[in-house]
Amino acid sequence: MNFRSRLIKLVTFLGGIYFFLEFVLPGTVFGVKVDAYHDQISNGFITVAAMAAGLGLINLLMQHGSRIVFRRRDWIYSLALLTGLAVMIAVTLQDWRGTGRVADEVAGISRLADFAERITSDHEDGTEGVLPAAARNRALREAADRLLTRIEDESGALDLDRLGRGSIDHTLARGYLADAGNGAAAVRAAVAELAVTDGEAPDPAANAAVAGALRGLAESWRNLRNLEYEHSTPKHVYRLLFEGLFVALGSAMFSLLGFYIAAAAYRAFRVRSAESSLMMIAAVLVMLGQIPFGVWIWSGLPDVRLWLLEVPNSAAFRAITFGAGVAGLVMAFRMWFSIESESFDREGG
Amino acid sequence: MAGFENATPAVLVIMALMIGPVLFYIRVARRRHDLYVRRLAGVDAIDEAAGRAAELGRPLSFCTGITNVSPVLYACLGVLYYVGRKAAQYRSRLLLPQNTPEVMAIAEDVLRDAYRAEGRSAQFDPRNIVFLSEEQFAFAAGYIGLVQRERVAGAFLFGHFAAESLILAEAGQQVGAMQVGASVSPEQVAFFIAACDYTLIGEELFAASAYLTREPIQLGSLYGQDRAKLFLFLMIVAGVGIATLNSVWPDLGLTNLDTLMHLGWGFGS
Repeated sequence: MNFRSRLIKLVTFLGGIYFFLEFVLPGTVFGVKVDAYHDQISNGFITVAAMAAGLGLINLLMQHGSRIVFRRRDWIYSLALLTGLAVMIAVTLQDWRGTGRVADEVAGISRLADFAERITSDHEDGTEGVLPAAARNRALREAADRLLTRIEDESGALDLDRLGRGSIDHTLARGYLADAGNGAAAVRAAVAELAVTDGEAPDPAANAAVAGALRGLAESWRNLRNLEYEHSTPKHVYRLLFEGLFVALGSAMFSLLGFYIAAAAYRAFRVRSAESSLMMIAAVLVMLGQIPFGVWIWSGLPDVRLWLLEVPNSAAFRAITFGAGVAGLVMAFRMWFSIESESFDREGG
Repeated sequence: MAGFENATPAVLVIMALMIGPVLFYIRVARRRHDLYVRRLAGVDAIDEAAGRAAELGRPLSFCTGITNVSPVLYACLGVLYYVGRKAAQYRSRLLLPQNTPEVMAIAEDVLRDAYRAEGRSAQFDPRNIVFLSEEQFAFAAGYIGLVQRERVAGAFLFGHFAAESLILAEAGQQVGAMQVGASVSPEQVAFFIAACDYTLIGEELFAASAYLTREPIQLGSLYGQDRAKLFLFLMIVAGVGIATLNSVWPDLGLTNLDTLMHLGWGFGS
């Protein structure tokens, strides 16, 4: 056995024993937390998979790029592939930036609300190493002023007519815009009540009011920006490519199944042998038991259908699953311990 | 954390009782070469399909569907190795439409080995291993195109399949390919029975490789797992018997087998 084979077998065994123990051991054994690092190890595997995806992208570009450059056979398909790849990456990145921008704006407002509450709690707890409460309240007021100015500017620049005048989304957006305006006014009123004079103790009610007003503003601003983004050009292009093309093509393939089932059923149920006759009788009983026409013929048909599905059919299903499960377990054991058949265990193979 | 404490002592004992016969029969198979495996018509048909493809001068295809790296794939690779050797012997093209990148790399290696074992390494063409798509129905569309364009004479559908199984099998049916289907999923077995010439049901997929190669390790595994199943069957009968006795004569107070299965270790949380 060469070094490479030994290494592969060792890594396989260690990998197998790790996941086996992770599966069978309790989280803590004799006071030792054996599951402490499992999440980090799992994240490591995800990272490796992500790097493999990056490697795949480079490989794809090299393979198909060279085919296009040297005009090799079927280069036009490579061009279609790379164009599709580039367009989809660009659109997805744009979509990611768009949704990320909305999330960042809302997170910024929420952070300000958390800060308003933190000022009071730090003061009450006597937390050391932080600025005095009045100074922090002044900073909060300035940050809130900047935020409200930005929100008012952006609200004024919004073109809600893009959403279609009189449409449901247009009406909803106008409502969210009004909510945001009210929210901004509430925040402005609440920050005016903050205790900002040096030496003055913060008023918990005033800070709580600021936090509450900011959270309300965050909610209406998120609704407005999300709705507006749903009607943006990047989102339209993304939906066209993903839902209009990719998902639609998948559905078209899936719909073929209906025709194929009919063709396959015709072949399977042709009465040629005792087995196919039995299958056909069972199928007819199940189908009739499923529809009102069957009940009209005989009210006991649904019970027959249920019996066929729950007794003989379930027994066969369980037998197949059981047999395959045991065989799979044995195969997994062989993989774990590298008990290889000669076909896969040749030196240098 | 979810996933811990899934094995009670009873489960580990049962696992040992399942693995023990496998190790024992692998040893037996290494000494004796006359272990009997019943005839599997679907596996015998592999030779027929390979020969037919050579006569017609048309290619073969071997598809593992949406199988990921798993014991099922390992079972399929044994059959792929055999089909690869047959294709190399008859100088037939063997197409390998692929759905998963990891599986593609492994399948390519196995096929290369099969050609090497027949002394036909030069005949091995990696371009016959085609990556179609990871997306289920895009893969099915690619498979239909490949089978129709190449007019394959024999199609082998081994592995894990989902809703695309009938689409794949019908594609082969339409070009008159001789098809052998094998799946561990009971739902898809019904489709294969309707659309393929031969179907391997459930564990027969795992037995196919042992049947074809008659290698001691694979034969021993097959024998061992059959004995393990017999043991589990007896456990089911005993469990049903005890539960029935308990329901008819509750005063007997027999311990149900599932109670034994749930007995814990007595430590940890």
